[in-house]
Amino acid sequence: MKSQKSSYWRSLAELENSAEFRELLEREFAAPPENVRLDSPERRRFMQLMGASLALAGVTSCRWQKDKLLPFSQQPENMVPGEPRFFATSMELGGSANGLLVTSYDGRPIKVEGNPEHPSSGGAANLFHQASLLSLYDPDRSESVVQRSGGARQVSSWDAFEALVKERTAALRANGGKGLRVLAEPSSSPSLADMRRRLLAAFPSAQWIEFSTEGDNQQAGSLLAFGSPYRSHPTLGNANVVLSLDCDLVGPTHPFGVANARGLVKGRTPDSGNMNRLYAVESTLTLTGSIADHRLPLRSELVKAFAAALDAEVSAKVLPPAELGPAQAKPQANFLKDPKVFKFLAVLASDLAENRGASAILAGAHQPPEVHALAHRMNAVLSNIGRTVLYRPELNRTPDRELESLKRLTEEMRAGAVDTLLIIGANPALTAPADLDFASALGKVSASIALGEYEDETARLCNWHLPLAHYLESWGDARAHDGTLSLIQPLILPLHGGRSALEVLALFAGDNRREGLDIVRRTHAALLGSDRAWNKAVHDGFAAGTTPPRFFPTLKPLSALQFSARELGDSNVSNGALELVFLPDSKVYDGRFANNSWLQELADPLSKQSWGNAARMSPKTAAELRVGEGDLVQLTLAGRSLELPAIFTPGQAEGTVAVSLGYGRHAAGHVGGLDEAGVEPVGANAYALRTIEAFHIAPSLSVARVGGHQDIATTQDLYAIDPVGKIGSEGRLSELVREATLEEFKKEPHFAREAPREPLLSLWSDPVSYQGHRWGMSIDLNRCIGCNACVVACVSENNIPVVGKANVIKGREMFWLRVDRYFKGPPEEPQVSFQPIPCQQCENAPCEQVCPVGATMHSHEGLNDMVYNRCIGTRYCSSNCPYKVRRFNYFNYHLDKVGVTPFNVVTDRKKLIQHMAFNPEVTVRARGVMEKCTFCVQRIEKTKIKAKNARRSIQDGEIKTACQQTCPTDAIVFGDLSDSASQVARLQALPRAYALLEELNNRPRVRYLARVRNPHPELA
Amino acid sequence: MAIWTEANPFLDPPAGENSFSRITHNVTRVAEAEKPPKAWFIALGISSTMLAIFGISIAYVFWNGIGSWGNMHPVMWGFPIVNFVFWIGIGHAGTLISAILFLLRQTWRTAINRFAEAMTIFAVMCAGIFPGIHVGRPWLPYWMFPIPNQMSMWPQFRSPLEWDIFAVGTYFTVSLMFWFMGMIPDLATLRDRATSTPRRLIYGILAMGWRGSSRQWHRYERAYLILAALATPLVLSVHSVVSFDFATSQLPGWHTTIFPPYFVAGAIFGGFAMVLTLAVPARQFFGLKRLIAIRHLELMNKILIATGLMVGYAYGMEFFISWYSGSPYEGFAFVNRAFGPYAWAYWTMVTCNVLIPQLHWFKEVRTNPWATLAIGIAVNVGMWFERFVIICTSQSRDFLPSSWGYFIPTPFDYMTLCGSFGLFFTLFLLFCRYLPMVAMAEVKAAHPDAHAAHAQAHAAVTEAARA
Repeated sequence: MKSQKSSYWRSLAELENSAEFRELLEREFAAPPENVRLDSPERRRFMQLMGASLALAGVTSCRWQKDKLLPFSQQPENMVPGEPRFFATSMELGGSANGLLVTSYDGRPIKVEGNPEHPSSGGAANLFHQASLLSLYDPDRSESVVQRSGGARQVSSWDAFEALVKERTAALRANGGKGLRVLAEPSSSPSLADMRRRLLAAFPSAQWIEFSTEGDNQQAGSLLAFGSPYRSHPTLGNANVVLSLDCDLVGPTHPFGVANARGLVKGRTPDSGNMNRLYAVESTLTLTGSIADHRLPLRSELVKAFAAALDAEVSAKVLPPAELGPAQAKPQANFLKDPKVFKFLAVLASDLAENRGASAILAGAHQPPEVHALAHRMNAVLSNIGRTVLYRPELNRTPDRELESLKRLTEEMRAGAVDTLLIIGANPALTAPADLDFASALGKVSASIALGEYEDETARLCNWHLPLAHYLESWGDARAHDGTLSLIQPLILPLHGGRSALEVLALFAGDNRREGLDIVRRTHAALLGSDRAWNKAVHDGFAAGTTPPRFFPTLKPLSALQFSARELGDSNVSNGALELVFLPDSKVYDGRFANNSWLQELADPLSKQSWGNAARMSPKTAAELRVGEGDLVQLTLAGRSLELPAIFTPGQAEGTVAVSLGYGRHAAGHVGGLDEAGVEPVGANAYALRTIEAFHIAPSLSVARVGGHQDIATTQDLYAIDPVGKIGSEGRLSELVREATLEEFKKEPHFAREAPREPLLSLWSDPVSYQGHRWGMSIDLNRCIGCNACVVACVSENNIPVVGKANVIKGREMFWLRVDRYFKGPPEEPQVSFQPIPCQQCENAPCEQVCPVGATMHSHEGLNDMVYNRCIGTRYCSSNCPYKVRRFNYFNYHLDKVGVTPFNVVTDRKKLIQHMAFNPEVTVRARGVMEKCTFCVQRIEKTKIKAKNARRSIQDGEIKTACQQTCPTDAIVFGDLSDSASQVARLQALPRAYALLEELNNRPRVRYLARVRNPHPELA
Repeated sequence: MAIWTEANPFLDPPAGENSFSRITHNVTRVAEAEKPPKAWFIALGISSTMLAIFGISIAYVFWNGIGSWGNMHPVMWGFPIVNFVFWIGIGHAGTLISAILFLLRQTWRTAINRFAEAMTIFAVMCAGIFPGIHVGRPWLPYWMFPIPNQMSMWPQFRSPLEWDIFAVGTYFTVSLMFWFMGMIPDLATLRDRATSTPRRLIYGILAMGWRGSSRQWHRYERAYLILAALATPLVLSVHSVVSFDFATSQLPGWHTTIFPPYFVAGAIFGGFAMVLTLAVPARQFFGLKRLIAIRHLELMNKILIATGLMVGYAYGMEFFISWYSGSPYEGFAFVNRAFGPYAWAYWTMVTCNVLIPQLHWFKEVRTNPWATLAIGIAVNVGMWFERFVIICTSQSRDFLPSSWGYFIPTPFDYMTLCGSFGLFFTLFLLFCRYLPMVAMAEVKAAHPDAHAAHAQAHAAVTEAARA
């Protein structure tokens, strides 16, 4: 431009050449993208426009195929390609929602995190939430409406189904919905409850049946204790003494696991002298039992008498007011005479009595209602209600007992009284009690409709199968553990044309609102009517201020409980009278995640078994049964039998065998088992043994060896190893996992530190001169509950391949972060320790010194960088790594499983969808290279760039590694060690901090904080 | 032994003294025979089949990924590196016999040095293949060489694997030169005796214009001496450097200062065992009993006892030091070797390497060729297991019990192992057939006849003095 004024002008502003215009010219974007707030109306507007344009294009039924969402010929506002955006949503599992914050990359969700604002999550997510992302992109998810008649499968369409609904509902309307049944899982969703009301209003004679695999003992227990079904949740942060009655309260299968873990650990900070005491009475070793200060292994069926005896003792000590009714008489049970049990009970009762108002007693979902009622009663007696245990009225559930209504439904189906059955989400053909034979009853229903994500066992027996939209594809709502309303927001349009349960129900109910969003908005019209309030709730992921107020239920005096002879029996039983406990699985839950390879590959936190289940028994019981580890055994229960391998779990109560549900599926998919594709089921189906009578705990189990052995895929040695290895590993445990009791810790806070010695010398000088940041990590073993959430978060963040069962058996699993589990002490009452092991990022790294091609180098910030494309795969680094955190790609796992290579062009749609799960910020490794934890270097770099652009320094806690972010107990803290005020620097300076294998002079950047146990002085 | 009964020029060597011409005849007739014995064809058939298996297994592993082998986590190295160290060890005896025994004026070495050297070359070739194929991306191991390139990639010289490249490379080069140079006079003999043009041409090229002039002999002797002096430290260094792969690592069971001498002793032990394993059948089948006499076998058996005892001492010392160090990890590594899940491998090693060679204290045993052969094979097995014990047992159980594992080889491991023997024996059989198996010139130099004139002169001088 020669002159200040241009000869041609595009706008008046340009003609004027004002200062504002010049500034505008200089800027790259009209509005700086970093200034756009997540809750800005533009984003919502974009969603609306996108939705509208798709609707106008008339492609609502085949939306993904048209690829309308991804390519932009015009860039939408506020969207910078390649910049991740975050959306709040929620996932409901076990009737409780966890708030999530999902990372979306160019329109596709790639990572699930906890929503820090959400009351249940507090920023954490468990492994199921983390892995749900992979399920979204599961190529086995159902793609179309399917109609079956006479065994012939026919791909149909939503239009055809809508025509069916029209025809059916016309008939049903005439008879008031007689013959219409809906079978659904219990849900906390207000919109679902609203749709149920509408449906039942339209069809008064119809029935809504709830059935879940975890059962409704909790609700029944509340009914027994209060006369009314209340929901309760503990606030463990306020408790000094916590008792778990066969309840894995921090485990991922507990609906409030994340919140419970957070609360429990809040009261376990020995550095501030604040340590609660956790007691666990349980049959099967759980995460809760592992972190408990005292654990009493007891058969599940004996817990009832134990609880009654405890009630008697506690009431005798506390002398509760008369309106709470009389305490239970102390049952004359044989096992209670065992001095160990006797003493445990006495100490526990006095500890509880001393901590009135600051204790909490929780009963496990598989314990009978009486135990729940006793827990409620004891909480009332101990004045815990309103302090450590909070109640609210149950709003959603039907009052019927699940099993009874399911039984009634099956009978009606058999009798031909059901002509239209809509099954929502559940898979009763697999999960219903075996003696109901639900599958055969399905054949008697003229119109059976299964709405599910997969064409599963139930869908294959129904006339119609409808693809259910994933929660990341649909609008919905649910309640958090404390009752807060949480919203479910879609991150992507349904990949396979699925619809949500709300939308399908709307179709049935003849609702005028058909879209999920409309339905959810209508439900909350009163509360979130204004766009502003609604947008805020969607942005936050929950509606603030919807937590129900504290509520004090009145206890109903509990009548004297009846006990069977078994329930008062000895602590041990013989074969044929063994106890069998059915438990939800720590990886596939009730089987719904059976096709999720991240979860299948994951190792159970305690048995360390991956890809399958086993009959868990204590080494002593196994010895009595003459069963070796890995031997195939036949479990026989009331004429039904099941074959599976045995695995030893120390700490398992004697006489108890535990099996986890959800395995042995024949129609899960290409991962979990699919008959027509020749994919063997993973594990054995324990539902085959489950009956109405023996739904959770079954007596009279007999176990027989059938000959034969099965290789159990474990990521750690099996329990039964040779004596040399056993002695050798036990000898070093106290070095590796350092622990002390609270007393010892108070006396000697530096117990975990090494004795002072001559400084260790190294041949090598520092590889780099450290500048600026010094990244480090601290892992608090006192906080780690071993839940595996970090492992799945790491898999999801870092594109870690799944290797499959055969390779896990060879020890080739690829996890960058593993949680080691060690047992100490006698196998009957083991002490369990967890130790998460990421790369220790040694300053004097043994791996770096031995790489012949310099593929692993040290960064100036102290990271042990791995250069994948330089690596030729000598595996020397891994050989020389004392922590064995370096993992090697023995095969092209991603190519084999997903079809990714830099050289091939993938056109298969299903594979393309699988590709979408990858994190684009992390290299997808090919065969023959070593890989390992990078401290999430992509996150570090991203934050560094952000801070640099803003000309500011990085705040402490601004960078969170994937494992740290999802940890419900904040056991993992990452940060800059050169900032002495940073949290990690302060933690590493704690007296409890120690480095693993310090004597090797590797100078690791990870420090472990030793665990402190808080045993009761009288039991220690 | 039916195949030997038919007319076989190798079976009945001409009777009489080992005169110069007899020596020439005895050695060259193998290379000059119209047809080698049937046994040679049978042996070549077997070994080349094994070689084909080698090729197939490697091709499969390349195609599919090295997970086809049993290598796992934590036993990241497994069979390929066991084989590498085993073959490198075998490759020690040749140069030791040629160079060190030459410098020590042990003239009996001339009977065996040629094929011991050939064995060295072939063993190092077998060994050299493994580091190349065992890597995860076997199309890239050339990155370990310092080749200038536009990407400024350079090897990392702190890595013992990098030292290996140079140690083994140097050793191979020097051994090859030593072997080839020593063969020149004999190749010239073959050239001179050749009856066909192709033979004349090929041997002529290989003989490099050797005329046998005094000046050539003079240069030859000097060069031989210099190469022997160069090769001598290499014998000691190459296996020391290979042992650094382990000794400089942190892994309990590897991190041991005794490794360099222990590896060298073990290599000589294993190398001599392999020489014996080859020499006994060769002298039998090619009629070289007079050249490779029982005395030579006995001398080598004595070395076998000596080095076997050194190896046994090292085994004991490792245990002592692991206890004396006070390191629980070291201590465990050795208890685990002897009594852990791999105890069978450890006791196989001890039996084969320490116990069985003790039979050589009996003269009847060490002068019996077949007993020598059997013990030689046992030692070879034992030495392979020694490497297996060091590599696999140590790796299977290191510091953190959580990462322990048990290595189980796959069929491809066995195929590659057996295939490497195929390569070795194929090359060796071709050598036996086409090259002078015994160093004729050197045997002649060591022959009493060579010194006859000298002796006569001495006698004359003595007599004159007496007179």
